[in-house]
Formats: sequence, C-alpha cells, structure tokens
Amino acid sequence: MALKELIETMAKALVDKPEAVEVTEIEGEHNLLLELRVAQEDIGKVIGREGRTAQSMRTLLTAAATKVGRRSHLDIVD
Amino acid sequence: MTTVSTDPTDRELDTGDAAAKPAAAGAEVVSAYDDGTADKALGFVADVLAQMGMDAHVDLLEPEEGDSPDEVRLEIEGEDSGRIIGKKGLVLGALQYLANRVVNRPGQARRRHVLVDAEGYQERRDETLAAMAHRLGQKAVDEGKIITFEPMNAKERRVVHMALAKFAGVVTKSDGEGEARRVQIIPVRR
Repeated sequence: MALKELIETMAKALVDKPEAVEVTEIEGEHNLLLELRVAQEDIGKVIGREGRTAQSMRTLLTAAATKVGRRSHLDIVD
Repeated sequence: MTTVSTDPTDRELDTGDAAAKPAAAGAEVVSAYDDGTADKALGFVADVLAQMGMDAHVDLLEPEEGDSPDEVRLEIEGEDSGRIIGKKGLVLGALQYLANRVVNRPGQARRRHVLVDAEGYQERRDETLAAMAHRLGQKAVDEGKIITFEPMNAKERRVVHMALAKFAGVVTKSDGEGEARRVQIIPVRR
C-alpha cells in the first residue's frame, strides 16, 4: 500500500526535519487510518494557515485511496 | 493618471527610482527555472503522483515570453488525468498548493509561483471564467445591479478581476472572508 508512503513523501518535503517524520498505519475494517507525527516545530508546516496544507494532503490521500477502492483518513498527532 | 511634478526634489527621487528599477526587476533576478525551484517542484509532483499510483507523467513547460521570472509551469498528462484534476479541479488545486508550500520556504529571497495544470484544464477553466465575467459585467451594466459570484479561490477571483479590469462601466471587488470570499461586479455611473 503506497498511501503511507504518499503521506511520508508529502510531509518530508514540507518540513525542516524530514528525519523526524513518522507515519503509522492503523487498519480498520473499511478504513485505513494514517497517523502523522513530525517534529514539534514542524507541526505548523504540515497543518498550514487555516489548515490548508493538511486539507490538501487529505484531498490527495482521498484521490489515491479512491483509485484503489479504499477509504483512508489522515490524523496529525501532536 | 500621471502627475507631473515641478518640484525638483521629486524629480530627483523619480530618477533615482527609475534607475534602481531595472536592476531590481531585470538582470539580477534569477529565474525560477535556473535556481532549482522548477526541478524541486517537478520532483515533488512526480513523486506524489507516483505514490498516488496515478498513471500519468508530468513535464516542465518552457517559460514563455512575458512570464514572470518567479513562475514555474507544470503540465500533467496521462490516463489518470481526470482523477488528478478531481471534481471542480479540487485535487489539482491541492497538488498546486502543496507544490507552492514545498518551494516557498521562510527566509527565501523571492516568492516563487508554481502553476500545475493537467490536460489544459486550468487554462480552459480560466477562459470560461473570463468569458463568464464579461457576460455578467455586461449584465451588471444593463440592469444597473450588483452581481455577486459564487465563492472562489484567490486565483479564480484574480481571473475575474483581470477580465473586468478594463471593462467600461463596472468595478470589481472581493467581499467576505476565507472560503466564503466572493467577487462582486458593481456598475458605476459614468
């Protein structure tokens, strides 16, 4: 499943500390939950002004998941 | 409107400004295609499309005459272009937004502008929007009423403002905050 890697790729490109980017997959029955963790000082960069960066990552995640007939959610953990 | 000053102090200031401008706007500006911005944007979009499992490829478009040196254009083509565009261009918009976040980092000298299109969608959308703006501009003049658009993003609002900038008899302005911001076409008495 490349959805985890998709979130990793996007998050690493956005932050100052890519080495601290961590994505955990939690398989649900109908749903794949992805938890994104980044360095404390990078949280703003993955959320963005008015949450637009996070919203954009979710839009791309949904498009990718839909192509393979899945549902997926992104949680940013702080 | 041009105001000609007779004050010698003003003239000196004007000359100084005119002399400084070409250097600031011309020769010293490194194009976004030459400082690595374009490659960074291309690499990011290509990686993301691959991870999304999309059957598509992305190319850098050559800068055209009159393009801003800060502008980078990417064009996506392929089987999955429809998915990459998304409903009302939402997916494409998200991709473009993220590409801009990736290339514009705090403390950077210049703000770069990445434009991501797929199969000419954005271009067609802009043309449709400009045509609609002209039609509604005429309607505002004919009926003497303020016409309000649906909420649009900053780029689309700009297309409407530009389309009507030289349209006689109306002015445009944006009203509302954030996602609800809309363009209004206001007829003016002349």
